[in-house]
Amino acid sequence: MLQHFDPKQFINKKIDPDKDYGTPISKNSGTSEQLITLHIDGVEIAVPPGTSVLRAAALADINIPKLCASDNLEAFGSCRLCAVQIEGRRGYPASCTTPVDAGMQVTTQNEKIGKLRRNIMELYISDHPLDCLTCPANGDCELQDMAGAVGLREVRYGFDGHNHLESEKDTSNPYFSFDPSKCIVCSRCVRACEEVQGTFALTIDGRGFDSKIAAGQDDAFIDSDCVSCGACVQACPTSTLMEKNVIEMGQPEHSIVTTCAYCGVGCSFKADMKGDKVVRMVPYKGGAANQGHSCVKGRFAFGYATHKDRIKEPMIRDSIDEPWRAVSWDDAMSFAAKRLKEVQAEYGRESIGGITSSRCTNEETYLVQKLIRAGFGNNNTDTCARVCHSPTGYGLKTTLGESAGTQTFDSVKYADTILVIGANPTDAHPVFGSMMRRRLREGAKLIVADPRKIDLLNTPHLKDAIHLPLRPGTNVALVNSLAYTIMSEGLEDKAFITSRCDDKAFIKWQAFITEERNSPEAMESVTGVAATDVRKAARMYAEAGNGAIFYGLGVTEHSQGSTMVMGIANLALATGNIGREGVGVNPLRGQNNVQGSCDMGSFPHELPGYQHVADDEARGRFEAAWGVKLDDEPGLRIPNMFDAALAGSFKALYVQGEDIAQSDPNTHHVEAALKSLDCLIVQDIFLNETAKFAHVLLPGSTFLEKNGTFTNAERRINRVRKVMPPLAGKEDWEVTVALSNALGYEMSYSHPSEIMDEIASLTPTFSGVSYARLEELGSIQWPCNEQHPDGMPVMHVEDFPIGKGNLAITEYVATEERATRRFPLLLTTGRILSQYNVGAQTRRTENQTWHDEDVLELHPHDAQERGVREGDWLGISSRAGHTVLRAVISERMQPGVVYTTFHHPGSGANVITTDSSDWATNCPEYKVTAVQVEKVTQPSVWQKNFADFNEKQQGHLRSGRRNNETAKQ
Amino acid sequence: MSHSQLDQLIAMANQIADNNTHHDSEKASVDFIALHIKKFWARSMKQQIVAYAKADGSALNKLAREALAQLAEKYS
Repeated sequence: MLQHFDPKQFINKKIDPDKDYGTPISKNSGTSEQLITLHIDGVEIAVPPGTSVLRAAALADINIPKLCASDNLEAFGSCRLCAVQIEGRRGYPASCTTPVDAGMQVTTQNEKIGKLRRNIMELYISDHPLDCLTCPANGDCELQDMAGAVGLREVRYGFDGHNHLESEKDTSNPYFSFDPSKCIVCSRCVRACEEVQGTFALTIDGRGFDSKIAAGQDDAFIDSDCVSCGACVQACPTSTLMEKNVIEMGQPEHSIVTTCAYCGVGCSFKADMKGDKVVRMVPYKGGAANQGHSCVKGRFAFGYATHKDRIKEPMIRDSIDEPWRAVSWDDAMSFAAKRLKEVQAEYGRESIGGITSSRCTNEETYLVQKLIRAGFGNNNTDTCARVCHSPTGYGLKTTLGESAGTQTFDSVKYADTILVIGANPTDAHPVFGSMMRRRLREGAKLIVADPRKIDLLNTPHLKDAIHLPLRPGTNVALVNSLAYTIMSEGLEDKAFITSRCDDKAFIKWQAFITEERNSPEAMESVTGVAATDVRKAARMYAEAGNGAIFYGLGVTEHSQGSTMVMGIANLALATGNIGREGVGVNPLRGQNNVQGSCDMGSFPHELPGYQHVADDEARGRFEAAWGVKLDDEPGLRIPNMFDAALAGSFKALYVQGEDIAQSDPNTHHVEAALKSLDCLIVQDIFLNETAKFAHVLLPGSTFLEKNGTFTNAERRINRVRKVMPPLAGKEDWEVTVALSNALGYEMSYSHPSEIMDEIASLTPTFSGVSYARLEELGSIQWPCNEQHPDGMPVMHVEDFPIGKGNLAITEYVATEERATRRFPLLLTTGRILSQYNVGAQTRRTENQTWHDEDVLELHPHDAQERGVREGDWLGISSRAGHTVLRAVISERMQPGVVYTTFHHPGSGANVITTDSSDWATNCPEYKVTAVQVEKVTQPSVWQKNFADFNEKQQGHLRSGRRNNETAKQ
Repeated sequence: MSHSQLDQLIAMANQIADNNTHHDSEKASVDFIALHIKKFWARSMKQQIVAYAKADGSALNKLAREALAQLAEKYS
């Protein structure tokens, strides 16, 4: 049968993420209806204007040889290998830098072109070692492939001339090596560092034949600005930049696409495997969140999965002063179930509870809260989102009607002004930080509201930027003064307000916000930010065209966290910056599945899909499906559980993949609460700080060992795929199923897809989600239901789930945590790039190279006043406790504010943080603690006790393991 | 630093009240505070603070006390 030839077939064809099309997709794609038709080697092709000849050919599967071109980099035209002939044009233009033209007749192969390409390859190879068989890139080398493709048969120049073959290798980076003898100076690495990562750490030194790639000022990679994101390694067409793992293990033999388990960006990776061993993780171009980019954590820091500290067998003990005893899964489950039942028999149904993990999958989280609600018979379930983004849930639901960010990450490409509040994307959400930097280089304006001068303000080629260095704890005062300026200067979007916002709420809000006390001038003494800067920032955001707000834990972790989230939503509503690409309110979520754990009903007051437990209709559906009566009253939140434990009414806790002893504030209080429990069940991959207080230790599985889904900060549900078997035999969801069955509440699932089907049947926003649909679409941004079968990338386009947008009154109420004579400084806490959260994973990788201890950053003025020099030991005291850290003196800080991280348990950063919390959600106020700092000579009492306790518990673990080994013999 | 469970509940109730003085009327503020506690606090927490509000209540601010009076019947 003769088929009709459609020249458009090539552009409608699905892009294959595993193929390199040579140059990026044309910026006109999707926006221009007009296609350009041309002929390449006689094949008629229609592509969007701006497409390169190289890409047009690749779309038609005509693969022109290339070396310096790659479809994640702008065309460069340096290698000349992609030369073609075009009818009516002179010479041999590079097809990568030549845009298509209507009626163009292109020839990609003939004798002349072949000869030219062979000559080019010959020159390359004359300065390249001929050790292909023993080269680590053997089997994955573009240079080798191209030599084959052009038919290179001899190198007439010999190899004795001036060359680079003796260049010294740089192995300073723990994850990859740089071997300049293999380099062809295509500059793909330099361009990847600039264009993809935005760090500009690499450059080309010298000219002509002496050109070579250099990190920084010809430094070792580790001493340069390199952030080890891996973009250069991925871009390198030879073995010049090569993962050390590949050098050691050889080329992978199969690969599986999965989702990173670090931050809330949720990058897709190809796990490149050799049997059940991960050789490397390569960012997947088909991943909609990261689009082929990665950071040092996801790309390289996966070695913890096979670390010797992994817990490999279930263990139990009667008291925390005893050594562990390794037992079978069945014995561990009956022990745990018996204890839980005993506690409930003695102290009542509400005396036990559980914590779901924001690191585990949606399916696992769903099962834990189901076990608690249906099996334990109460609503004492919570998750670590309590201590990070619970105010986001409350604040956004109140104002916009849905507890989630409004955009895709991609939307930042269309933003004209980017307002970042209390977030540090280049450290905490690095891949999105790079996307942001790209947009800033293109000319978008930047406003940063943060007590510290974060790295985003140091973006190379940054144009217009304003830093609003507010005092910790004054967010609401600042956001109100921004809103005051917008309203008093008439910068609001009247049409949007009229059509999309609730009238009554708006009128009340307008009256409130335009009161003089909210003006930047009046608030200046509160926030410490110059009124002129506030006004300038307000105009920059409101008049941008597209103004997009991104915020993080610097917004939520305050006594007015929820108020601030509403203040942010107010700004977006008043300026009409919602409901389209390039705008919106975007919470940057901390952990990989914080969004998912909230969606899955981890909070004590909400069933999956944010349905309140007191809602009879919703609860009725769950009761019918789960076959039990559910409590219609909310349960205890994490801090309430601790208080109840100390009061003696809360006696047992099941914690899945969460280290509350390290991550939660006021460590003394948390430790005392944990010690008071009769039964603590911890399910984790390591003996974390919490597990040291446990009676049952159940081995967890890493993201590499299980199937499931994660939901990232843009509501995107991504598949997690098992690439290796779980070390202790069970995926985390299977452990919960076993515990539930041991307790007598029967659960039976054979695969996580069945759990997702149950979720979809009970959660209106998930009704269209299934594993089959995820396979088909790659990922889905909820809501996904009958109205939105493919999900919803941008929310609130037509209306809000609550109908009209609700501007909320956001009265500034100062926190009670304020600087005093006794505690004159304010401590704020944060993260750094190389470590992740409590560090349990990253501390067990080479990421330690960059940050092996937490330090205290302080301003030179505060340091001088106290006679502190860089590296001194500093005692930090608050009303909650005392710890000791090393000093780093930094101008990033403002005077009066000090800063640290909590990645290392022995630092005791949370010994100092207090029990202050958000009024609406009890999210702890990590970002403001009044402290005093002084020079000391020894660790704190807590740190000494910590070291002793740690040693004792590690001993208990060792004897547990040893016993087991003896028993097996 | 440690605190009793009741102290903490009192501080939380007062904080909710302090952050919600701005509603249309005092009645509206009290209603809001009562609803917030009803929606987000565990039964045992509500019972404990209601008992305190009835027996003493001196550490509670005015709005919190009135809000808890609304919940008294259900959570006694």
